[in-house]
Amino acid sequence: MLGGVSTTLAISLLSLLLGLAIGLPLAFIRAYQRSSSFLVEGFEKIFRGIPEIVLMLLFYWGIGLYFPFPFKSAFFTATFVLGLRSAANQSQIFRGAIRGIGEEQMVAARSLGFSKLRSVVHVMAPQVFIFATPGLGSEYALLVKDSAYAFVIGVLEIMYNTNVIRKATMDPVTPYLVAAFLYILLTFPIATWLDTWGSRKKKKLGL
Amino acid sequence: MESRHLWKAYEAHLVAVKDVSFRISEGEIKLIFGPSGSGKSTFLRCLAMLTTPDKGDVFLRDVCLTKPGVDLNRARARIGFVFQHIWLFRHLTALDNVELALRRVLKLPKTEAKERALQALREVKVEEWAHHYPAQLSGGQQQREGIARALARNPDIILLDEPTSALDPELTGEVIDTLRDLAKKGTTMLIVSHEMPFAREIADEMIFYDEGAIVETGPPEQFFTNPQSERAQKFMIRLIKKTKRE
Repeated sequence: MLGGVSTTLAISLLSLLLGLAIGLPLAFIRAYQRSSSFLVEGFEKIFRGIPEIVLMLLFYWGIGLYFPFPFKSAFFTATFVLGLRSAANQSQIFRGAIRGIGEEQMVAARSLGFSKLRSVVHVMAPQVFIFATPGLGSEYALLVKDSAYAFVIGVLEIMYNTNVIRKATMDPVTPYLVAAFLYILLTFPIATWLDTWGSRKKKKLGL
Repeated sequence: MESRHLWKAYEAHLVAVKDVSFRISEGEIKLIFGPSGSGKSTFLRCLAMLTTPDKGDVFLRDVCLTKPGVDLNRARARIGFVFQHIWLFRHLTALDNVELALRRVLKLPKTEAKERALQALREVKVEEWAHHYPAQLSGGQQQREGIARALARNPDIILLDEPTSALDPELTGEVIDTLRDLAKKGTTMLIVSHEMPFAREIADEMIFYDEGAIVETGPPEQFFTNPQSERAQKFMIRLIKKTKRE
């Protein structure tokens, strides 16, 4: 069962990073590129609206049929789907942060001769990230929980192993309780750490 | 720097800049004053093209900034701007605030950028706070750092939008001292300010701005002893009364 812990952790952290890598740029596109923001909006609607389990099955069995590489890897598909779903969520989190930081920082950067893109990279993005970290804590917790869906496409994570043990021992209580405990253990420390780190940093910088 | 027949309106009835033609030459210090809401800030922002004017032209040396296709980032790199509410980069230390544009806009090598940033901080006397974040500094220190940020790139001109009006009265002095130092070095400055004794001391020319237009221009003495326009007269009387009360 403990073997599943590292897989669950890997799916959660990797999809959080994938979500960050996609979600942060999306938030800025939506804030500053009005012309293409409808695409971002569409992406957000799709990935926030469809249940993760449907997406995982669709990508693994459906799209995986035509693109065995990379979707025949259950681990990849699970991380990919959760990463995109998280990108949709994080885009919204970061958009709120962009509003929170305000237009002033952008104007100050432009006044020094920075282009729009460079202002975003050097001035806005670092502050937006710090501003949003407490929110990212809850996003991570969400990902740990949703990684349990990966069980349905056969990823050897906590739920999968729990099920194997339940079948072998015929005990319908203990394995689930242990799984529940493991999930709490995985979520709580990192989510709390992100929250406190972000809050402290925000306070220190006056954000 | 020059503006020719510059216009900017926010709404049909709210014209912040109404056909303003203005010129400032190298080494000059000009001071704009006038009632709040009269469009002084907007005018300053139009000069730096931080706000796009509706009509008219802005020139920096012989480059027309209002011509389509002109590289505005490059032009802005030659202009220093100091904001009323300072707007330092809050995630960076004082040193990094000043260094950022030297590194990423002027593309100076790390050591040279750092040396110049420290030099700028020294000039405004916040060098000892170089490794502090803006939130850890007083308003006066922050604004001096803001001036260092604008000044470090050796811009052709520095535009200052009410640099002291967001500060507590006891902190305005240190910022004014900094500006006085810059004036002595011959820095070209256009300052929006209502610090009258200071204006009288350093300005080559004062400009009374009201309802989106330049109402009266002249040497400081003219405003203090004999303002020509009725509006400037009334405004000066109110200002002087207020200064006395303080």
